Order: sequence, then C-alpha cells, then structure tokens
Amino acid sequence: MDMIYDQVKEFLDKGETVAVATIVSTRGSTPREVGAKMVVTEWGEILGTIGGGCGEADVRREAVEVIHTRKPRMVRVDLLDDISSDSPAVCGGIMNVFIDPWWQEKEPGQPLEQ
Amino acid sequence: MIDLTEELIRIKREGRAAVLATITGAEENGKVEPGQKCLIRDGKVKTGTIRHEELLQAILKESEARLKEERSKLVPLDLPGTGDKVEVFFEVLPAPPKLIVVGAGHIAVPLVKMAKILDFHVTVLDDRLQFANRERFPDADDIKVGDMAQTLKGIPVTPSTYIVLITRGHKYDEPCLREIIHGPAKYIGMIGSRRRIKACFQRFREEEEIAEEVIERVHAPVGLDIKTETPEEIALSILAETIKVRRGGRAQSLSGH
Repeated sequence: MDMIYDQVKEFLDKGETVAVATIVSTRGSTPREVGAKMVVTEWGEILGTIGGGCGEADVRREAVEVIHTRKPRMVRVDLLDDISSDSPAVCGGIMNVFIDPWWQEKEPGQPLEQ
Repeated sequence: MIDLTEELIRIKREGRAAVLATITGAEENGKVEPGQKCLIRDGKVKTGTIRHEELLQAILKESEARLKEERSKLVPLDLPGTGDKVEVFFEVLPAPPKLIVVGAGHIAVPLVKMAKILDFHVTVLDDRLQFANRERFPDADDIKVGDMAQTLKGIPVTPSTYIVLITRGHKYDEPCLREIIHGPAKYIGMIGSRRRIKACFQRFREEEEIAEEVIERVHAPVGLDIKTETPEEIALSILAETIKVRRGGRAQSLSGH
C-alpha cells in the first residue's frame, strides 16, 4: 500500500479539502493500472500520478472544481484522441477516473452497528 | 468516532489487509450517493458513511472476493429493494506479502535486498550466527538463529507467505520442507539440482505418502528459467517467480509449472 493516505491526512488536519483521483476502470492500453491514484490540493498541486500527460492535466483541472463544489465526479480520460503526439501518455486506451473530495467534517465516519 | 484516514494509516502500520469501498455511481434516490464509503477489515465494517444496511451486506460479500483476488475493481451492485444499480469501487489494501528465507548464504544476501525493494516483509533464518546477522542483512525485518526446521515451525504462515528454502544442503532443506509442505503458504521454492530434488520427492512419496498435488506445490528447482549464473541472478529469478505466482503470470519456471 502506498503512502497516499498519510499525505491526505496531513492536508485534512490542516483543514484543507483535497481531491483523491483514482483510476477505477480501464479499456485498452493505459499508462497505469486500476487503483492508481493521485491527490490534488486546493492549489492544484499534485501528489502521486495516474500516468502523467494530458490526461492527468485534465483530471487535475476537474479535481480543482471538485474541491470547490465538494461533489465527486467520474471523468473519462480518452488516450485515443492524439495519436500523432509523441507524448508517452498516448497509450491508446480509455480510463475512468473517480474524483472524490475529502475534507475533515465529512471524513470522520461514525462507527457503524456491527 | 473513528477517523477514516487514521484507520487507513493504522492498517498499513500493522501490516493488515483491508478493503475501502466507495460508491462511485448511483441514481438519485436519496438512499445512497457517490462518495459514500466504508472500510472493511477482518470481514467487518470498521467505519464509513454508507448507511444502507442491505447494501453494506452486499459490499461485505464482494469485498471478500476482491481481497482474495488482491485486485481493486469497479463492481456494479443491485441496490436491494429498489431495482436500482449502484457502482462501487473496491480498493484492495493488501497486507504486505511475507517472505521467509531459510538459509542465509550467498544467495540470501541479494535476495533479501531485492525483496525489500519489492515491499516484502522479510524474515531470514539460519542456524549459524555468523551468517544470520544484522551486518549481512541490514534490511531484513527479522533475523532468526536456530535449528531451521524447528524455528520455521514456530513462524506463522498465511496465504500471503512466500517461503524460499536455500540452505547449504538438502540435509537441511528437506526437514524444512516437511514442516511447511502441508501449510497454507502461497509459494514454496526449494533450491537444488534436478537429481537431488527428484530423490527428495521420491522419499516424500514413499516414506511419507505425501500426495502428488501437495508435492506439485513446491517450486523446485526454484526460480524462472532465465539461465542464471551469479547469486544475484539466481535471487532475481526466485523473486520473479514469486511475482509470477502472486500476479498470475505465465513465464516458464524451472520446475515446469
């Protein structure tokens, strides 16, 4: 397991909202696997990677909106559209990325009846 | 109140396995909404924001399968009593695999170093203190000195344990193998020439009446067929085989399976 939740906690403890972007499904060839994630801060800073390139930049932009609206969204990243590009991110696949806002008020869960 | 990030960090620190289930898609019905989560550990919901009891039951069931497969996945589930579908992403947080290296000789040194790079929790075991020590294995999580078969018997083995037998001789490998061959280890590899291994398995069949499918679990000769020459290369081929077993690859093993 990577260290990403340690970093999320640091931001939440400071009272910030962050967006956690996770690759939840893929089709074709993609730069990273299902489960890969990155954290985007209110300032658009990125921790971790979901493969770099234009796809990641799109997700980052959407993530900043998600932080402001505090509503999660699913984003489809199409790596097919720019075949002529030399970018290493052009893998020819499609990935769905779930962008989820995390913040302190919402984040502590109530213990459930077991 | 249990803090979700705190719980996630604790699980990692303790080397436990868990599943974080997040609703990523749902029709608007006022019952569940995207972003709601629950954290499952030891077959129980530890904490979370999903309140729909029947859905929690379905998530618990699915998380068991995810954990077994060690693979995160987006799964559509029926929302009981509504006919609606919800999409749930199951993020598997697997316990780090444990590697037990029996025999602290010249292959063990690069093997332990590489295994730490691959995030194994590593235990090294030998009956000679001059081999099994901190100077030789600065990265090992645990170093044990003692009779190898006896000590091995006392180490807990789970389905995420990988055991490599690379002692200085078959005289030692064989009793160790006897201790673990019926256990739940995910991987057992044993070094040795084909001739010696054949003789060992023959004794297992005849003297101990160990079944063929049990014997077939043992990867011997150990490692992938990459024509290794140095101890470092042998270590690499052994670790590559553990990854093959863990992830389900198809590369050719020296043992033929």
